[in-house]
Amino acid sequence: MPMHDDIVAILENRPLTGGHYLLSLDAPRQASAVRPGQFAMLRILGRSDVLLRRPMSIFNLMATDGRRGWGPRRAPQLRVTGSKSRSGQAPRIMQLLYKTVGRGTRLIAELKKGDKVGLLAPLGHGFFEEEYLPQAREADEILHVAGGIGIAALLLPAKRLAEMGFKQRLFFGARTKADLVGTAEFKPLVRATLLATENGSAGYHGYVTRPLEEYLDAHTKKKFLLMACGPGPMLRATVELAKSFRHPCLVSMENRMGCGLGACLGCCVRVHSEGHEAYQRVCTEGPVFWAEKIVWK
Amino acid sequence: MTSRESAGKTKVQSAARSAGRTARQPRAAAASAAVETFTPQIETEIAGIRFQNPVWTASGTFGYAKEFAHLIDLDQLGAVCVKGISADPMEGNPEPRIYETASGMLNAIGLQNVGAKRFLSEKLPFLRTLKTRVVVNVFAYSTEDYVRCIEILNEGEGIAAYELNISCPNTRAGGIVYGSDPRLTEEVVAAAKKAARYPVFVKLSPNVADITVFARASENAGADAITLINTFIGMAIDIETCTPRISNVTAGLSGPAIKPLALRMVYQAARAVKIPVIGIGGIASAEDALEFIIAGARAVQVGTANLYDPGTSLRIVEGILDFCRRKRLHLSDLVGSLKVPVKKA
Repeated sequence: MPMHDDIVAILENRPLTGGHYLLSLDAPRQASAVRPGQFAMLRILGRSDVLLRRPMSIFNLMATDGRRGWGPRRAPQLRVTGSKSRSGQAPRIMQLLYKTVGRGTRLIAELKKGDKVGLLAPLGHGFFEEEYLPQAREADEILHVAGGIGIAALLLPAKRLAEMGFKQRLFFGARTKADLVGTAEFKPLVRATLLATENGSAGYHGYVTRPLEEYLDAHTKKKFLLMACGPGPMLRATVELAKSFRHPCLVSMENRMGCGLGACLGCCVRVHSEGHEAYQRVCTEGPVFWAEKIVWK
Repeated sequence: MTSRESAGKTKVQSAARSAGRTARQPRAAAASAAVETFTPQIETEIAGIRFQNPVWTASGTFGYAKEFAHLIDLDQLGAVCVKGISADPMEGNPEPRIYETASGMLNAIGLQNVGAKRFLSEKLPFLRTLKTRVVVNVFAYSTEDYVRCIEILNEGEGIAAYELNISCPNTRAGGIVYGSDPRLTEEVVAAAKKAARYPVFVKLSPNVADITVFARASENAGADAITLINTFIGMAIDIETCTPRISNVTAGLSGPAIKPLALRMVYQAARAVKIPVIGIGGIASAEDALEFIIAGARAVQVGTANLYDPGTSLRIVEGILDFCRRKRLHLSDLVGSLKVPVKKA
């Protein structure tokens, strides 16, 4: 596993809506090794009161434009396979999309351009195409189902799928309109995006699994592959739908993490394994699992 | 900039390597220096085993070492104490298993491990390729099972010592009982010593009123050394849901928050016994490690710091060498060198 532990510089820590931020890091060693669905462990330097690294999905990768300097809207988008971008450059910038949910993320939100952070990446078993290609080829469409900050895990997989020519659709639900971040990057990759908010401030008023169910119900003759990431109850509901409509489904799990690289066993989830139940590491055997692998509570 | 930062790791590695070299082959004095270059000796000997330096990694924080092989030069460590092993595999506790607290963390992993047989066949072979010493942490729920585990592990080659975990607060039966009852401590240590092919270190629990009682109990029963301390029992609560943050309810607290407590216990234990003492608890820097050494520890273990900064141990080795060079002292001069003023009558 080519993970690297480096001190890297922040290029931008852009505030978005709803307490979300888009953090851009100058991290060529890690960026060039990323596969879709992997994550990073971010360390705040120089403190002993907040100890542990914070796990974050790797949202996006970018190359720099050497002539004009770095600029996310002008920089060429990168081929996700890690090969060179359209401009022929290797990936150098890693973008993490995160929400301030506690002590650690609130401190990370205060960091500025030029500040340094510790970056351990890329980590985990992501959405690896060699494992889902058979199901993807059988499917009429790939359905991405995102809940809240779960959207951050699905962009690189969607980019890779688009590269390979697969048709995709995004179902994205969150509490409020302010939480529906990251949708612009999906636009060129998917046929349609269906938004849902719990308070009705944008899109469907309610949980995103309801319009998902309606869609699956309206297309029972079609085959789909689902890729989902979000809070536990949303994932459970999505997996139930996939099961009842008999579609394969991959889920990206999350958990509190200690080391992030498989040594401390702090992040385990219960899974079905070799005929019995066991605990596997979200940081190493995961975060991505086939839905039926998880012992859902 | 990034390449300079990433060179930090190789810098630590080569400094530690050159330190090992100078410990054996004194360099010629620098032309500009009027004083002879001092080459500190930081090897340490415990129970007849030679450790190349006094910095070990603590059980439960370093897996089976291979997880870190890509990030740090494992050969530079004094020893690796592997994840606790039981006679039979254990699946561990339900989640959530960990929770960060101020300057520390709570853990109730539940001693998940592959069991002694699979440890020997799957994990030990890689460990044996390393220069660093391998200490196998052992736990069980009954004296018979401690012995059974040790008897299986005795089949393995290249183990430097056993570390008897009598102090894990995460099990519902056995563990906590041994570590908080001096007679049970003596019983399990004596039984382990009788069965063990390799030296036996005893890892003490801090959840006791008087650590010296347990240090002496271990020594009386034949322990070759004591390592202390394990985690303190603590807890945290989610006020939104009114539920414990950890599924086990209580959990072990570790990290910088416990260092002053751990240090005090190491100081007390080192004065109470003649066998070597290895210090554990919130060590994250060379300065921390040196405090424990001065208090009486012949070696130290780095634990929680491995989770967020795997390079910590090697940086501590380098820092100890720098300190010894500056003070013109060898490690053995420092061990237990604490000066306590004599109280006037």
